Amino acid sequence: MRKFVVAALLAAGVAALASAALGSTKSPARVSSAGSALVTCGKTRTIGLAAPITGPAAAIGNQQVRWAKYYVKRWNAQKANKNKQIKVISGDTQLGVDTAFAVKVAKSFASNSKLLGVVGPAGSQEVVASTSSYKRAGLGYVSGSATRTTLTDGHTDGNRRGYFFRTVPNDGAQAPVVANWMTKKLKWKRVYIIDDQETYSQGLADGVQKILRARGVKVTRDSISQNDSDFSSKIAKIPSNTQGIYIPWQLAPQAQTFGQQLKAAGKGKIKLFGSDGLFAPGVWKIAGSYDSAFPYNPTDPAVKTYIKAHKGNGEFFGLPSYVAAQVVVGAVTKACADGKATRAEVRKAIAKTNLKTSILGFPVRFVKSGEMRAPATFGVFQIQSNGSFKRIG
Amino acid sequence: MSESTPGIPGSGGQIGIDTWVEQADERIERRGGLAGRITRIWERIPAAGKLALLTPAILVPFLPLVSEGNLFNYGIFILIYALLALGLNVVVGFAGLLDLGYVAFFGFGAYTYAFLSGTHGNKGHTYTHHWDAQWSILMAVLICAVLGLFLGSSSRRLLGDYLAIVTLFFGQAFVVFTNAADPYGITNGSNGLANVAPLTFFGGHFTISSTRGYYWFLLGCVMVVMVILYCISESRTGRAWKASREDPLAAELMGMPVNRLKIMAFSIGAAIAGLAGSVFAAAQTGAFPQNFGTQVLILIYAVVILGGTGSLTGMLVGAIVIIASNQVLDSTSPPNVARVLFYVALIAAVYFTMRRSWVKMLIAFAGTAVFGLVVHAIVDAVWSRGTAGHVTSGGFLTGVIRHWVLLPTNPGRLAVYGYLLMIVCVVAVVQLKGWWRLIVLVPTLYLTAFVWENLLVQNPAVTRYVLFGALLIAVMTIRPQGLFGTAKVEIG
Amino acid sequence: MNSTLGQRLGNLSGLALALVAFMFYAVYLSPTQGWTFFFQLTVNGIILGSLYALIALGYTMVYGILKLLNFAHGDVYMIGSFIGFGVLTLLGGPLNPAIPVALLVTCMFVVAMLGSGLLGLAIERFAYRPLRDAPRIAPLISALGVAFFLENSALLLFGSQFRNYDGFDLISYNGIHLGGDNGVFVQYLGVIVIVGAVVLMLALLGLVRWTRLGKAMRAVSFDREGAAMMGIDPDRVIAATFFIGSALAGAAGVMFGLLFSQIYHLMGFLAGLKGFTAAVVGGIGSIPGAMLGGILVGLIESWAKGYLNGNVSDLVVFGILIGVMLVRPSGLLGTPALQKV
Repeated sequence: MRKFVVAALLAAGVAALASAALGSTKSPARVSSAGSALVTCGKTRTIGLAAPITGPAAAIGNQQVRWAKYYVKRWNAQKANKNKQIKVISGDTQLGVDTAFAVKVAKSFASNSKLLGVVGPAGSQEVVASTSSYKRAGLGYVSGSATRTTLTDGHTDGNRRGYFFRTVPNDGAQAPVVANWMTKKLKWKRVYIIDDQETYSQGLADGVQKILRARGVKVTRDSISQNDSDFSSKIAKIPSNTQGIYIPWQLAPQAQTFGQQLKAAGKGKIKLFGSDGLFAPGVWKIAGSYDSAFPYNPTDPAVKTYIKAHKGNGEFFGLPSYVAAQVVVGAVTKACADGKATRAEVRKAIAKTNLKTSILGFPVRFVKSGEMRAPATFGVFQIQSNGSFKRIG
Repeated sequence: MSESTPGIPGSGGQIGIDTWVEQADERIERRGGLAGRITRIWERIPAAGKLALLTPAILVPFLPLVSEGNLFNYGIFILIYALLALGLNVVVGFAGLLDLGYVAFFGFGAYTYAFLSGTHGNKGHTYTHHWDAQWSILMAVLICAVLGLFLGSSSRRLLGDYLAIVTLFFGQAFVVFTNAADPYGITNGSNGLANVAPLTFFGGHFTISSTRGYYWFLLGCVMVVMVILYCISESRTGRAWKASREDPLAAELMGMPVNRLKIMAFSIGAAIAGLAGSVFAAAQTGAFPQNFGTQVLILIYAVVILGGTGSLTGMLVGAIVIIASNQVLDSTSPPNVARVLFYVALIAAVYFTMRRSWVKMLIAFAGTAVFGLVVHAIVDAVWSRGTAGHVTSGGFLTGVIRHWVLLPTNPGRLAVYGYLLMIVCVVAVVQLKGWWRLIVLVPTLYLTAFVWENLLVQNPAVTRYVLFGALLIAVMTIRPQGLFGTAKVEIG
Repeated sequence: MNSTLGQRLGNLSGLALALVAFMFYAVYLSPTQGWTFFFQLTVNGIILGSLYALIALGYTMVYGILKLLNFAHGDVYMIGSFIGFGVLTLLGGPLNPAIPVALLVTCMFVVAMLGSGLLGLAIERFAYRPLRDAPRIAPLISALGVAFFLENSALLLFGSQFRNYDGFDLISYNGIHLGGDNGVFVQYLGVIVIVGAVVLMLALLGLVRWTRLGKAMRAVSFDREGAAMMGIDPDRVIAATFFIGSALAGAAGVMFGLLFSQIYHLMGFLAGLKGFTAAVVGGIGSIPGAMLGGILVGLIESWAKGYLNGNVSDLVVFGILIGVMLVRPSGLLGTPALQKV
């Protein structure tokens, strides 16, 4: 009797497996049609915001959240937008902890049928990881900080053209700015480059290294991992006559730790040069360090209001997310002009974005790959003794 | 011939029948009352019958009432963890070996499947394999079984605690390996493998790419694995495992090949984890190293311990309870459900603590309500900022909460001190007895609600891990056999 | 299984040979060669090793008495460093301290040690005492639960952003230059850490050897029931052991914060594992063994980080542990355990 029951259950299990396989050949269409599902717009439209709200990169993630929400607040406050309100749903991608969170956030955005477009994610590796989820859902996503050059070339890290856009210049532009500053302004001859083994960091490090070596600068390359906190052995390897260390990392607390340990090893004379991921005043505060950061227009009234509201702290890392929100909101509104919209429509509207002015200091239009058209450059900042970042170039 | 000689146990009865064995049932400690009767009836049903009863219980709530997103979140994760728990049960429950690196097998399975069914490129190398799912899953299972063999063979010379440490290191080694040590771009460092194809069987004739499809597939896997494990546990091997779990030395002396049994347990557990890993990678279309970290391990352990080591149905029930609460307390879920669950749990906790006396229970509930209202009124009068905060997405309970719980505008430090104070109070409640317990219970309950509203509900994703950690401790100290396991008695 | 003198000599000479080969590689063959680099790494290793030794002592004491691996020990260390951070920020931080620097640092240590000690007491009382007579697996799982509980409570209370101990100008950034300006640099803080660790370890040795409590601890670890029959209360002795072990871990936590500045809720996990490695390598249950093991693990990790690719250093340390456990499970200074039938 028992054997019969067991056999019956085994058969039932196999039947379940089979029905899974058979049943789903009918339904794959379901998944890819998500992008063309018609959504009634109504008075409130929904967009998603994917950023590292908690975790080691929270310092920069929250800047992005604040800038993006700042834009949405200004949009919602305008009388003309009374029937076109925007609701923002945030997703915490915990950059620096686990790329899987970015995928999870992407999937939860995808399953929200009212969500039409996404601002984010922040990290280049998160873009790579969540691409298939966004593509499968038909969602367009505009990042205000993912700068790895190969994200838009259509083949190296996958093809996301038509889905992924960014409102920041890529590392192809950042590396020359950094290298130029090092060679022309600071006249460094002996440079150490340390990357943090992430997609973003390695791209930048490779770019700067190439230019520096071509100009005859002695470059030594090393790497650490984002989980490291004991750098004493790495620091011991750095010769004391090094003039500068380039650290294109994503986690500002790690840079602060590194700087402190560098000083503690008696090599505090060596200057640090960071990248846009380290733009976190109050967290990275090694005075005298340099940092390259996103472009912006300091005379724009929106920028000035933000700085005043945040007690002089511009939080410029998050600034491009304001523009990203602007792009997404504009596209959603355009697609919803007839009361109904699909995610595919929103994507097309994003691709056709044409902002005559923006707080970045130049007009915003996208090319086919998802990059911005304007020739944007990065700025160079220096950390003052009171911890604030001052623009010097 | 039923002569019984007084003073000699078991002397009554017939020849050929061992009265000691016959009377075994009377010697097993049973619970009284309604719970006892239900337990006895439950125990009489053969395991296959239990399985048949439970499967509709899983099916009915899920399809088709549930949305796609929820099906993914709840259904698929529950089934994956049920699979993992079944595998860990073989190692911990059947064979009694503490394996703290189990999650590495899960990871290896996922990575093997991901590598063999997708396109990956890093550090200048590009790998494009698009094996059919039946081969890549098979490969994943085989590789994991071999790894389990390898780990098991290292357990030959190690006793309990040392084995735990070696397995823990094995788990760590996996994370380090995927994160860092891949010179040929096979594992793609901490970015993981992202371009994973969904399950395609037999050259694309059957493809499972929808959530519903994965759910059915996983359900089938769980049922098949449960049946296989049931058969194994009733066989000679299963009995040998149980013997070697209780006393390895005695088992060896009775002629069981304890070392071989250990290796077999590791291997089978690893194979099941490999299966779970490959389906997981397909469902998530990706495999990332931190998917296989300590948190997952603790979750699997919580499922196994709560369900009861050694019991197959326990695994399923444990998975449902733990994973459902895990997903409910996720950062992307609305806090409403979590809030309702919290208050229900609080009421249940009071019930269990004060079960023996209805009077005390009523006093506890009424007292807390009154205490809360009084404190709220006093604080409102004295320090208005203490109650001016807002309730985090309250839903239908907002009104009640706003007038009952203290909600400072800037909880910050207060919430932290409140948390620490709450732990002290809970400790005190556990220590005290009688009326003192009741007296301390009332402010403790109020404090718990305060901490929940101001700290825990805002960070549900972390709260659930705190709860699971506490759950492990509580289950171990109060009821080590979990819900469905059998209580063990240590002799000597 | 006692090893003969011949076997012991064999082991030692194997070890010596390995050491000589390593020195040769370090000084002449490796890409970053030179005595200065080697000595710098050695100094760093000894400082790191003192930290691991303090953590290992907690593990070894608890294992000696209860035969229990306290997985939560690493998280007690983490809580200690957070308590130190709290005291530091409360008293103004290194940039504008409310009280003199020496007093500030002492305060940090004392409060952190007290706090961790109390935490250790609580853990013992609630997670381990009810499981004294349960099968061996039960307290281990309970320990896992405690570790998880502590890590996530810290995450809940302190947030997930890493905190940094700001450096003290006087002791963190100034130090001794050995061998000229380009020679080995030892920060004053490093010296303080080594001296402090040595003082604590000597105090512990004195406690165990010359006080009544120490005698009671040794008795309970030898035979709990026999000690109870002699009038020693095992509960109190075990509680005292946990208190002392956890206090040492708390001190190590503050030292870590001062030296390496970055603290976060998961730092206890890896540090705990390495502390456990140190305890096992030195011989679990043996206090001098834990100290020796700690220094060894610190040195090996420092050398591995310096001469090999940084990520492999953790694997090297784990590999050493597994090797020791398979070859000589009782460690360097431990006594081989006899299995009673």
